[in-house]
Amino acid sequence: MKYSSKQSKNNLYGYPNWRTKAFFVLSFGFLSILIIGFIGLNFGTISIQPQKIFSILWHHKTDDSLGLIIWELRIPRLIMAMLTGMTLAGVGGAFQGILRNPLADPYILGVSAGAALGACSSIALQYVTGLYLMHILPVFALLGAFLSILLVYLFSRKKNHLPMTDLLLAGVAVNFFFSALITILLAVSSRELHSMVFWLMGDLSTANWQKISLIILPVFLGSFLLIFSSLELNAMALGEEEALHLGIQTEKLRLKIFLIGSVMIAIVVSFTGLIGFVGLVIPHIARLVVGPDHRIMLPVSALIGAAFLIFCDTMARTIIAPTEIPIGAITAIIGAPLFIHLLKRRSETNEY
Amino acid sequence: MNIKEQVISLEDVNFSYGQQAVLHDINLSVFPGEFIGIIGPNGSGKTTLLKLISGILSPQNGQILLFHQDISRIPRKKLAKMISVVPQESYITYNYKVKEIVFMGRIPYINQWQGETISDYLISRNAMEKTDSLCHADKGIHQISGGEMQRVYIARALAQSPKILMLDEFASHLDLNYKYEIIKILKETLKEEVKCIISVFHDLNLASYCADRLILLSHGRIEKSGTPLEVINNQNIKKVYRSKAHIIQHPELAIPQVIM
Amino acid sequence: MKQKIFFSFYIIMLAILLSFVMSVSIFSQEYLYPITLTDDSGAKITFNEKPQRIISLAPSNTEIIFALGLEDKLVGRSDFCNYPRETQDFESIGKMFPLNLEKIVSLEPDIILAFGELNQLKDITRLRELGLKIVVIQSESLQSTIQSIKLISAACGIPEKGDQLIYDMHKRIDQVISRVAILSSDQKPKVFAGSSFDTIYSPGRGTLFHELITLAGGQNIIGHLERWVKINPELVAQAEPDIIIIPSGIMNPEEITKIKNDIISHPGWAQVPAIRNQQIYAVNEDIFYRAGPRLLDALELLYEIFIETK
Repeated sequence: MKYSSKQSKNNLYGYPNWRTKAFFVLSFGFLSILIIGFIGLNFGTISIQPQKIFSILWHHKTDDSLGLIIWELRIPRLIMAMLTGMTLAGVGGAFQGILRNPLADPYILGVSAGAALGACSSIALQYVTGLYLMHILPVFALLGAFLSILLVYLFSRKKNHLPMTDLLLAGVAVNFFFSALITILLAVSSRELHSMVFWLMGDLSTANWQKISLIILPVFLGSFLLIFSSLELNAMALGEEEALHLGIQTEKLRLKIFLIGSVMIAIVVSFTGLIGFVGLVIPHIARLVVGPDHRIMLPVSALIGAAFLIFCDTMARTIIAPTEIPIGAITAIIGAPLFIHLLKRRSETNEY
Repeated sequence: MNIKEQVISLEDVNFSYGQQAVLHDINLSVFPGEFIGIIGPNGSGKTTLLKLISGILSPQNGQILLFHQDISRIPRKKLAKMISVVPQESYITYNYKVKEIVFMGRIPYINQWQGETISDYLISRNAMEKTDSLCHADKGIHQISGGEMQRVYIARALAQSPKILMLDEFASHLDLNYKYEIIKILKETLKEEVKCIISVFHDLNLASYCADRLILLSHGRIEKSGTPLEVINNQNIKKVYRSKAHIIQHPELAIPQVIM
Repeated sequence: MKQKIFFSFYIIMLAILLSFVMSVSIFSQEYLYPITLTDDSGAKITFNEKPQRIISLAPSNTEIIFALGLEDKLVGRSDFCNYPRETQDFESIGKMFPLNLEKIVSLEPDIILAFGELNQLKDITRLRELGLKIVVIQSESLQSTIQSIKLISAACGIPEKGDQLIYDMHKRIDQVISRVAILSSDQKPKVFAGSSFDTIYSPGRGTLFHELITLAGGQNIIGHLERWVKINPELVAQAEPDIIIIPSGIMNPEEITKIKNDIISHPGWAQVPAIRNQQIYAVNEDIFYRAGPRLLDALELLYEIFIETK
């Protein structure tokens, strides 16, 4: 083969300058999110002209009802969708990397079941005590999530080791157990059933600026930490032993990804309920677009996840307005066929 | 060769998986420039021995030294700069490109903050050239044949700039011409930074062809250690493999070959 | 001459009296506001002036609005608000759960009458965060229904109308109570109220339905249980009610017959007196479930049914 001594910025001995690539891809991603976000702002029960929206945004008007709708109802919701999508898709990609399993999603390690149990318990408690506990619900959900994280960790830990199969199995077991408890709770509740089921299907309508301020730091911090582990996650794809041979401390890495990912998911899910398919499907789409190198794939997955969820949320509150479809249903309806399509493509071309 | 020059040494190493004892009283020394072959029937502990020497497993008793350092005290990252391992086969979860796989061999050297340097790319490319996998550089790892994949693994191991190269059945899927090529490349590395090579062999003839010294394992013990001529003879083969075989001299080289 | 003085004195007194009365009514309007009320969720809401734009999030509240004559100020109602028929002319804000926040906000209400079901509470919180005034009504008894009418009329600046409505309601209640008081306990029929679905939910103690049954002179066989319960059909066979009441949303005769037949042919209930004597009544569920003035219609209907049976 001809040995090319050309060392242009984009071609380092046949390797692309991924930093430039990453820069362009990420800028494009951010821009797309802004555009999709603005388009999403145009939809809702009350139709507001784009020019009006623009002026409301520009002047930060909240004195009239339209300004209130934009700034207090639609924008917090969009931002929440963005943050949630980022987290679900980013953590999903990281879990798929660390567990070496393309079917992994952020809920596989038990976090969601715990959060769901916490949330449903708080709803049931409200009916039993007659107290108003709506603002406590995220706290309950978070506690439930942390309980399941703790249980999964304790069940899978073996003498300072955190073997992968055990982690997966413990996650599945905790999922099953908590789901059973939730089913019992649903069975004995009659009035609050509707509330519980609605929460379980995902609900972004309670988004407000206060909640955003609580979520935004952990989400970005956690995302950075995950992206920082990209090289190590790449090595994991070769195999557990191979990664060890490359100097990766696989058990520490597993613990790190598990904890960071689970905590991020716990925080987000406590506020938004369970939104499925995003964490499973979006990382695969990211791999199709930019390849499996986690250094680019994880940020891109997060960006696509954010855009996707903004889109789904817009659909959820527009299709049969004035009623809302739970967002979990929309992501499933769009996500499932998409996933099947990806599977078919994968088997046909043996790609990605 | 005196002890001071030992690259690898195992002293009284015993290893068990739980209650099951697998290796007993292993004493082994490897000197610079040596190509060691580990042979033996299935279940004799070959792969376990390799895992012990490469730091995956820890022995219950005994000591393993690499360059006179206790292997259990060497931090994993440092170990990765000392040894690299070519696996027999492994499943790569996602369809990385060949060049990305080879590049992963540089991971132990890449500083998280500064990122990779030009030399990292250069070394990767060199490794691909040596193993004649450069033409596949942009192909997905799931799209190449078994033989090409083995060459890629070797390229990755070479890209890791090891001082000790360990391999597990590196030639099982290789065509004859590639077998020659790879063995030539491996032996050339012994003239460069690589101080010694250890490989597990199923194929006795290949072991005889490649290695300077063979270690014959049987039921977890070293049955015999020495040159191929010393190790591969009727008596040893019959005892260890419990089967008959004809041992002949290679027409051109002074090495034994086994025919059925 | 004396007559003239007397006459003018009379006129002056009248004028003073009139002006006094007028000023009292004007000032009393102003004295009414600002007012601070506590709603059924415990929240304190302050009204600085008389609300001109009302949204009702539940049919019970809408019926109260119409009964108080406030419909000219109604700007939004829920999909389920269907009584009186005029409600269809008013703008709908969609389902009761989840609430369409944008629609509600865009209508710029001065007061929102919400329903205390906890399903709505998360949306109510949201609306309160946006600065809207929401009064949560949660009535599980006749008394609390009357209280809520008082609350709504006070919030809307027409307490005297509220009092009038309450007075009329009390009159009707007292009529029924006094007639029931003279009945002995074996003159009071055993009553089972159940929904028309496969899974039977029946109202126990603490529900409006149970209170109506008891006040109308019936004995609720589920009276020892709390709230709405999913009951085991064996309980009905065992308790042997004399009357079965089925609240139903469907009021067309064929459907009613089907429902009745389902009850009659329910396994294990053949010996139940209500079934043997064909004392099965389908009633319009709206008047039984909605905490509004029509509860009295329900009460009186039950009384008629019970009196006939015994």
